[in-house]
Amino acid sequence: MEKYNYFIATCIMILFSITISNAQDKEAKISLTFEKADSLYVCKALVTSEGIPVSEVPVNLSVKRLFSNLPIGDAIATDSIGVATFEVPQDIPSRNGKLIIFANIVDDENYMNTETSGTVNWGMVVVSDNSNVEDRSISAGRDKAPIYFITASLLIISLIWGTLIYAVLQVFKIKRLGKANIE
Amino acid sequence: MSEDINIAESTNKHETFTQEEYMVMKNDLLRPIEKIGKAGKIWIAFLMTVFLAGVFAYYIQETRGKYTTISLRDYTMWGIYISNFLFMVAIGLVGVLMSAILKLTHFEWYRPLSRIGEVIAIGAIMFAGVSIIVAMGRPDRLYNLLLHGRIQSPIVWDVIGISTDLAASLILLFIPLIPSLITCRNNLKNLPKWQLKMYNILSFGWQGTPEQWKILKKTMRILTILLIPLGILICTITAWLFATTLRPEWDSTNFGAYFVSNAFLLSVAVMILATFIFRKAYNLEKYLTEMHFDKLGQVMVLMALIHGYFNINEYLIPAYKMSGLHENHLLSLFIGKDALFYWSVVIFGIIVPFLLPLFPKLRKPIPLTIISVIVLIAGWFRLYLIVIPGLLQPYLPIQDVPESWKHYFPSVVEMTIVAATFAGVLLVVTLFSRFFPIVSVWEVAEGQLEGKEEIINYK
Repeated sequence: MEKYNYFIATCIMILFSITISNAQDKEAKISLTFEKADSLYVCKALVTSEGIPVSEVPVNLSVKRLFSNLPIGDAIATDSIGVATFEVPQDIPSRNGKLIIFANIVDDENYMNTETSGTVNWGMVVVSDNSNVEDRSISAGRDKAPIYFITASLLIISLIWGTLIYAVLQVFKIKRLGKANIE
Repeated sequence: MSEDINIAESTNKHETFTQEEYMVMKNDLLRPIEKIGKAGKIWIAFLMTVFLAGVFAYYIQETRGKYTTISLRDYTMWGIYISNFLFMVAIGLVGVLMSAILKLTHFEWYRPLSRIGEVIAIGAIMFAGVSIIVAMGRPDRLYNLLLHGRIQSPIVWDVIGISTDLAASLILLFIPLIPSLITCRNNLKNLPKWQLKMYNILSFGWQGTPEQWKILKKTMRILTILLIPLGILICTITAWLFATTLRPEWDSTNFGAYFVSNAFLLSVAVMILATFIFRKAYNLEKYLTEMHFDKLGQVMVLMALIHGYFNINEYLIPAYKMSGLHENHLLSLFIGKDALFYWSVVIFGIIVPFLLPLFPKLRKPIPLTIISVIVLIAGWFRLYLIVIPGLLQPYLPIQDVPESWKHYFPSVVEMTIVAATFAGVLLVVTLFSRFFPIVSVWEVAEGQLEGKEEIINYK
């Protein structure tokens, strides 16, 4: 019997991986709803598979930033009616107030990876106080730097680089003198 | 001919410098370019390996993301990359000390050392720039600093200062090299053709005419004068990068002078180390003599004293007042968790270079080189102590943050990149000395000739 152990173990492993891969083949669909409850921003992700809500599936929520997505808290598993409920922070900065929220399922035992997104008007528009930008102060923008500062620094930089350029020109003068000496 | 030499040697040895003596000297100083030994090849291969390991580490850092590969966090946003940058800027001052200050103050013993100092300075300034780039969060946005940088910003002063100092140092290295290049072309016939052609192109038609000498010396003098304020400027601007940032430790009006004095001390140490290595590796004992070590040892004592003075201003005076802002940081340095570190740096970085070279026996090559290595290591850690504990003592207490934000220890990637910058500097110096005379033949000959009658044809 012992000599068949290896064969049996291999068969079981193959069967197991087939079952697992079939299990992961199940497709899930996420639909997002956004609602305001009292003073909270709540995002609900309903996970269904073949039209039936599924429970105990971890869902990750994230928000689109400049290059990649910023996770909003840890993953939350769906409840008995297939809904994962997230509280969205109210201080996520946005240029126009709009946020693109992503919900996804990653590396689940039963369901394939899936992702969905929705746009909601929950971003905090950041208003910068640029009232002093027009002042010619040390803290002003590049083109509003104090005139004396620009003049003095440019003068010093030009003097130094002028001297360096003069030195390089002298090297060429040495070359000219060498040529003249040969002739 | 040999009779003539004997007569010259027996009668007036110290009063003349003959063409024959010049020829011997020239051969001695050009010999390292002619052949590269097995040890030299192994050394270059080793440096290349460390340098490439650093390039690979940087690739990993940029592709896998800084948060996962390096230990920099919100509080310690500057780590060993920036303390290493400070070290490189500091040893970059060696060119100013060796080829400008000593030259202008007529200390004739500078002659065989000036080019060594200039090459180290160029390597150090180049890799100071590299250290800044590797520390940048978004190096792909570097061009924005050049296109949109504000002239009021200290980082822009630093970019301008470093590029200007590098350009000035390169030109000042090149101009006195012109007569040496023609010497190489005329005397080193066994070299590959491309190398001889390179000497020919770079020598810019040098004929050694009086007019050419006049222009060469005048330009050298102008650049030498310019290099002193430039070198001191980049050290000071680097200090201002800190002094203009809101941290209690850096809130100091003494910082510029403190950095400059530290840079001069480290420059002397690096010069001693380089002189020792070149003396041994290229058999230049006749030119890099014990006298040079004696003089450099004396300079080291002076620089350690000056730096000690600024160190007292930097730490002891604020400690006397012990104001609320400085208290945490100073107590942590004097008796707290950084105390061992701080006092080691004070002892090995200031007291050792001040006390030990006072004894003439310790100003001999081997003991002085050991002292210099200790000073350099302590100097590197002194700059580490300025950057890291300074960042970990912000104005507001650190609370409610992940544990990793509260401490800093460099990751393997950071250490590899820092090691690569050192390998880079050494590679620049080594390769330069393999292709060009590391001791300026004509400048040394000119020094020998000073006040003597013989006129030498430098070719």
